[in-house]
Amino acid sequence: MRAASAKPGVYPVTGTVEDGSNGSHATPAGSAPVGLLADLPAQLAPMREEMLANLVMIGQTPAPTGGEERRVQYIMDRFAESGLPDAGADEAGNAVGFLPGKVGDRTVLLVAHLDTIVPASIDHNATVLADRIEGPGISDNSLGAAALTMLPTVLQKLGIELNCNLQLLGSVKSLDRGDHAGLKFFLDHATRPYDFGVCVEGVALGRLNYFSIGTIRGDISCRVRPVESRSYGSESAIVVLNYIINRILAIETPTRPFTKIRIARVRAGKSYDVDPDKATLGFEINSHSDEMIGRVLEQIEDIVSEMSARHAVDADLDVFFRRTAGGLRFSHPLIRSCVQVMEGLGIEPDQGHSPSELSEFIARDIPAVTLGISEGSKHHDKMDYVMIEPVMRGIAQLVGLLLSLDRGDADSAAAS
Amino acid sequence: MNAEQWLKERTYHHSDFWDLKKMVAEKERQNLKISLCLPTLNEGATIGKEVVLLKSALMDQYPLLDEIAVIDSGSTDDTREIAASFGADVYLASEHLTEAGDRRGKGENLWKALYLLEGDIICYVDSDIANIHPRFVYGLLGPLIENPDIHYVKAFYDRPLAFSQGIRPTGGGRVTEILVRPLFSLFYPELAAIIQPLSGEYAGRRGILEKIPFPVGYGVETAMLLDIYKDMGMDAFAQCDLDTRVHRNQETIALGRMAFGILRTFFNRLSSHERIHLKGELEKIMRQHRVEDGRFEQVIYEIEEFERPPITTLESYREKFGGGA
Repeated sequence: MRAASAKPGVYPVTGTVEDGSNGSHATPAGSAPVGLLADLPAQLAPMREEMLANLVMIGQTPAPTGGEERRVQYIMDRFAESGLPDAGADEAGNAVGFLPGKVGDRTVLLVAHLDTIVPASIDHNATVLADRIEGPGISDNSLGAAALTMLPTVLQKLGIELNCNLQLLGSVKSLDRGDHAGLKFFLDHATRPYDFGVCVEGVALGRLNYFSIGTIRGDISCRVRPVESRSYGSESAIVVLNYIINRILAIETPTRPFTKIRIARVRAGKSYDVDPDKATLGFEINSHSDEMIGRVLEQIEDIVSEMSARHAVDADLDVFFRRTAGGLRFSHPLIRSCVQVMEGLGIEPDQGHSPSELSEFIARDIPAVTLGISEGSKHHDKMDYVMIEPVMRGIAQLVGLLLSLDRGDADSAAAS
Repeated sequence: MNAEQWLKERTYHHSDFWDLKKMVAEKERQNLKISLCLPTLNEGATIGKEVVLLKSALMDQYPLLDEIAVIDSGSTDDTREIAASFGADVYLASEHLTEAGDRRGKGENLWKALYLLEGDIICYVDSDIANIHPRFVYGLLGPLIENPDIHYVKAFYDRPLAFSQGIRPTGGGRVTEILVRPLFSLFYPELAAIIQPLSGEYAGRRGILEKIPFPVGYGVETAMLLDIYKDMGMDAFAQCDLDTRVHRNQETIALGRMAFGILRTFFNRLSSHERIHLKGELEKIMRQHRVEDGRFEQVIYEIEEFERPPITTLESYREKFGGGA
């Protein structure tokens, strides 16, 4: 789904905003060496190598979920080097930086998840080619983390002093069973209210997520009982899991509201000549309706109970991830601001839902979006990569959005 | 300073120089210019990362380096384009000092770097390091900036770590341990204190580098050590532990040719230092074998180990940098 154009053309970073006012919090950035939004990439160009160096260093630091300590340390060192007055790790292990604004009457929280799906045992060395950087996890989410890390330096070198506070968060334990634990902890123990949230992802530039569809993720595990059942006798755990999968696939899901069951991961088996005594299925249910998700889940619970009894296995259902459907409307001023900034930089907005950190903001009624930094790919089975050329436009997009929020462009909805 | 003292006092770890701000201030106080030379031949897979990381950390953030130059031997991949695109000065070796002719080899690039670069200190770092990090440079520059008596710093990578059965023996690669260290132990025992004499990363003051000859091929690292040692003794040296270095591993057969080149350089030095007397020229042909259709074949490699003279003997160099040969 592509966004309708809100207002194409160059968007002024300084001076008067769209409605003719200069905004109650307008940044007196006239003295700042920032002219027009469209000029930002050129002003950022001298910082490209520093940005890419951060990307390589972060990408080469393994950060599997729950093992992000070295990456957190790197980011905190960079925050300290850039003169951020307040930088450290919180109790959950997140990398936290705070840049107080001149006025400080509102706070923008930028978050990038630090963990990757790449095990620490994999060679994390990155390769810098003429047009791209390749490396495990480089797109998801080393680039997002590098952008977050670089932001204080970027603002400093551009001479931008924001009126609003800027809270930077490299969050830990985000993926899989981590279930956004770092961000949840941070938001649940916040010492100040957050007016806006911006989730930074490596790819793709133009990404504009502002709503989440309902999602649950769970595992169904089958364990063969050590003593044979009085009914059918023991069977291979894979065979029983296969019965369960077939029954789940037979569940009817409506197209309206859109609902989908994804059979995503199967783990079982040790050797050709051994019947497996354990098998696990990972699945996800997505829907625009939380009620529909509840109905599908009930059917899966019934299937698991029945199969457990019929086939002499201990079958368990563990739902470890739940997101309710929700988010902002396209008419929300935050979305308008994002679209205007993107178009001012020649970036075509590409809207969609996101199961990412965004949902944590939505659940807490904090207006938030997810943005991408560059083109690239996360293959999982081939080497991930990000393109170099768009990166500084991606950074310019963050700066442009911060300036827009600082002027108060999105304030009316924040208050509502 | 005996070997034991030297090992104790002149062996550093890169973490000794973590305070880059302090190093830059001291460099500026001494009014030093520092150049980094990256010799290349088809290093498109690694040169981009080296330039990006080193330029960002040691020029943009902490101006320890005044220039980063790639001196290329005629790469047929995009090494030169990639290096230039990330801000390195790129030189094709064959296009410079043409009056001296053109030789192919890493040593040729290192020698021409003395003419092309401006630094009072030249730091040489190989271009095939997969885990490149700024420590590869500041670890080598630290001792030179800190101690004016040190003229040349050599890298090493393998730390002696305690493990269950005592101390793990440390050292260099295969050629170092089965060729160079035994040779040093026989003829220059003090130099055996250098843990990795063949490492491709080192830094030196122009004042000493311009006075020594440069073999263009395999023998350049060995020759530097022997020539500086002869002129200045062990006191001129230091070494720095740069932790792990990940790079391409060479096959044993290729290391055999490397050993041949080093042996030629070494025996020529033994002869010129009057440690032994050779009754004639050393052979230039290295003979190895391969099996082709079930038959053994001899493969012949000519490994000449041509040497460039001290660069101060070049008039164009003296015109640029002054001084006399």
